[in-house]
Amino acid sequence: MSLFWIVFRQLAEIEAMATSKKLITREEWEKKLNDVKIRKEDMNKLVMNFLVTEGYVDAAEKFQKESGTEPDIDLATITDRMAVKKAVQCGNVEDAIEKVNDLNPEILDTNPQLFFHLQQQRLIELIRNGKVEEALEFAQEELAPRGEENQSFLEELERTVALLAFEDVSNCPVGELLDISQRLKTASEVNAAILTSQSHEKDPKLPSLLKMLIWAQNQLDEKAAYPRINDLSTAMLEDPAV
Amino acid sequence: MPTPTSAPPHSAPDFLSRLASPDPEIKLKALRDIKNQIIGNRTKKLSFLKLGAVPAVASVLAASLSHSPDDVIHNIVVQSAAVLGSFACGFDAGVRAVLDSASFPHLLRLLSSPDDKVVDAAARSLRMIYQSKLAPKFDFLEAKNMEFLLSLLNSESENVSGLGASIITHSCESGPEQLALCDAGVLKKLINLLGGTLSQRNASLESLAAIFRGNPDVVSKFVEGSKNGSEVVLKCVGSEGVNALTCVSELTKDRNLRTRLLACECLIVIRNTCPGYLQDIGIKMKLVNLLIELLDDPGQVGDDAPSVFSSLITEKEDMQKLAFEANAVNKFCHHLQKNQLNPKRLQGVLLALSDLCAKLESCRLAFLSLKVLNSVTDALTHDSADVRSAACICLRNVTRSIKNLCAGYFMNEMLVIPLVRLLDDPSISVQVAALGAISNVVVDFTTRKSTFVQCGGTKQLVQLSKSMDSTLRLNALWALRNMMFLADDRCKETIILELTASLLASLIAATSTGPEAFPFGMTAPTFQLQVSASVKSLKRSDKVYLIVNLCSFGILTADPEPSIQEQALGFVRNLVDGCAKSIEFIFAEDGIILDAVGRQLQSASKAEIGIQGMYVLGNVASGNEFHKEAVMHQLLPQVDNGTQSFMMKFLQSNDSRLRTAAVWAIVNLTFPACPGAFSRVVKLKNAGIESQIRNMVNDPCLDVKLRARTVLTQSMTFSDGLT
Repeated sequence: MSLFWIVFRQLAEIEAMATSKKLITREEWEKKLNDVKIRKEDMNKLVMNFLVTEGYVDAAEKFQKESGTEPDIDLATITDRMAVKKAVQCGNVEDAIEKVNDLNPEILDTNPQLFFHLQQQRLIELIRNGKVEEALEFAQEELAPRGEENQSFLEELERTVALLAFEDVSNCPVGELLDISQRLKTASEVNAAILTSQSHEKDPKLPSLLKMLIWAQNQLDEKAAYPRINDLSTAMLEDPAV
Repeated sequence: MPTPTSAPPHSAPDFLSRLASPDPEIKLKALRDIKNQIIGNRTKKLSFLKLGAVPAVASVLAASLSHSPDDVIHNIVVQSAAVLGSFACGFDAGVRAVLDSASFPHLLRLLSSPDDKVVDAAARSLRMIYQSKLAPKFDFLEAKNMEFLLSLLNSESENVSGLGASIITHSCESGPEQLALCDAGVLKKLINLLGGTLSQRNASLESLAAIFRGNPDVVSKFVEGSKNGSEVVLKCVGSEGVNALTCVSELTKDRNLRTRLLACECLIVIRNTCPGYLQDIGIKMKLVNLLIELLDDPGQVGDDAPSVFSSLITEKEDMQKLAFEANAVNKFCHHLQKNQLNPKRLQGVLLALSDLCAKLESCRLAFLSLKVLNSVTDALTHDSADVRSAACICLRNVTRSIKNLCAGYFMNEMLVIPLVRLLDDPSISVQVAALGAISNVVVDFTTRKSTFVQCGGTKQLVQLSKSMDSTLRLNALWALRNMMFLADDRCKETIILELTASLLASLIAATSTGPEAFPFGMTAPTFQLQVSASVKSLKRSDKVYLIVNLCSFGILTADPEPSIQEQALGFVRNLVDGCAKSIEFIFAEDGIILDAVGRQLQSASKAEIGIQGMYVLGNVASGNEFHKEAVMHQLLPQVDNGTQSFMMKFLQSNDSRLRTAAVWAIVNLTFPACPGAFSRVVKLKNAGIESQIRNMVNDPCLDVKLRARTVLTQSMTFSDGLT
């Protein structure tokens, strides 16, 4: 064999090593997956954790009955928590504050940021309803003292009061405060604080598991071609592109 | 048209009348309204407090306890407990009002209620009270109390067991208390709580730290006693053969930031208490990095992290070095530059930086290179006294940098003027801290000491050296002493004119002022006693007035504090250091300063006083004939009253520093080129001092040995004339 051929073959091999990833067929993949054992109880606990954290109290009750999975929290507290969350989502902030205080007076007494955000939401609702005078009085009486205590609160307060300066609030730079997303943000902050006060994680575990799945797939993509899950909602294994 | 929903809020007196209503429903509504107004709202708490809401709510609670319980009454009890708890939450004035209202025993009684809601509400309120320093101290040494505490810790309710832990955190201070808790089995309960809910875990970590602090016996019981035992330990670490210490270490990785901080604090208390535990480099690095990370939290955890960090590195050079390598100086300086820091955090950051700069020049240089000195000088005028004091302490440690002192870097108006202003601060601790910083700044090796004199600093220091507060006197004198260090004659003259020779003499030692100088025939001690008892209640201006008068009465005869006498002598030592002209200062007013030095040396209560005093005499003895003879006069009084001369005592001292100082004086007195040297050598020989020095030619201290030999060589020059 001439030298040319030897060099040529070596080059070809190097090229193949660089480009070709290990290919795993669907059959091989499914076989590997079948070898992994998952306990049913663990699955049930994850589902229960999701239902409880997200506040699906009726579903959690049914699920407890049907699967025999114990929730890691008193289900009655979920109802209270959801009532608070709902009150904020509907703009009844004062009502929400009273409910939180009934649930546990420590939450707002020891969490100045959350308390400020709830008061801020109250101000936003007053402005939304066109109660300008009341809004100004409320800002001065209730929110200004908090701004004196904390610089970042003062900045947020200024931003909120700026809503009053615009004729057309929907097109003003701080207009997003009136958006429904602001209510949802405040509601989820209250929800998280209540969960923490009940020694419960504020986020369900399932999303983190899925995040980890995506991360692991991305890592694996660099080394192999395999049946991938692209659509999380169907969890369909899709054939590797060869 | 007014909108129907914007009805005017209830006026405050209205709340009180509703609370007093005979209708329980109205009462209940009023309680709920107050509760929802004050929770989270400091301003509202204060205004309700001023209206007398606390006693009103307390009496509603007291009255409800005697009623037969129905739903409304029961609800009133829960709500009033919650209101009282909120008044006590993070608000000392509120705690005081609640304690004054005598609701404390009522709340305690509620803990034994059959109703869980009532128990929870009462426990929560009591926990709030116990989180304040004002809460009454709980006596653990009383058997009944200990039983009660254990029943709290055993409770299923997290509020009740948390209350138990809070009581320990608040009240456990002394060694016997720590041991009593340990012997009663509290450690085991607290270890169990580590595996409980978030609030139980945190409360337990805090209590553990309180039980451990400064008590190595308890710490080793915790570490050794928990080996192969507790299920909780197994549960939280997941493997056998480990102890509760590992359990606490694991909690430094907890998701909850407060838990992480408290676990760090607990570990630091353990390693500071028992130097045998947690010393490996891995755990040291872990603690440093964790605490630096926690600093980034914008909330309370971040506010508290700097002080925990300080407790890790304070007085520990190895830890300071590690922290420096972990970039801690940069990190804290970076925080310092942020605007509008919470006062507690600002104080913590300043103190952490001062701890970092306490020993290591590398840290000070890093700090200075980051150009944050302006932020520190800004903090000197902060509203909070704690912050002002922390800024001074930070400056004190940063200005230990000899390199920068030599360059005259700190003697500028930006720094000096606000510091001098703080000498007038209403808070004594700020004054003391400012004196600490000034003491270092005025050492300044350049000739710029005049900057300090010009802005009135010297006057202020002299004023403070006459203060009724001994810490102030001590630190003021210290600053003056450093000011004297290598100062030029003009500067020295300004200071001594301000201070006056007689005051200086009085700070050094007692004069012969008789009791007739005191009003109403009182003797000096009685008068002083009465004055100091009443002076605490005086206004500042009155105090100054009093001090001026006391000086004229001659009451400040001898400062009662040996440490102040030492500083005063150190001051004189620097005063008479240098040329003959400097030495003349000590002969002002018929030499009362020198006499005072002599008297003080006669009765010196500690070695440090002897050392400073002997250096004063040594410095004076380096002057002209007249100066030397004056020293001789102090060393060998004309009248022999049978007491041993202090010179002999010092030469025979066990303290080599004192021996050195004493021999130096003799070296200067016997310097052969001086006309009177011969007669002095004879006198010293007759007093037995020369033979004492002969015994010292092989002194274990090299310095003493060399000086003793110098003395002998010098007196040998005259040996022909001696018999």
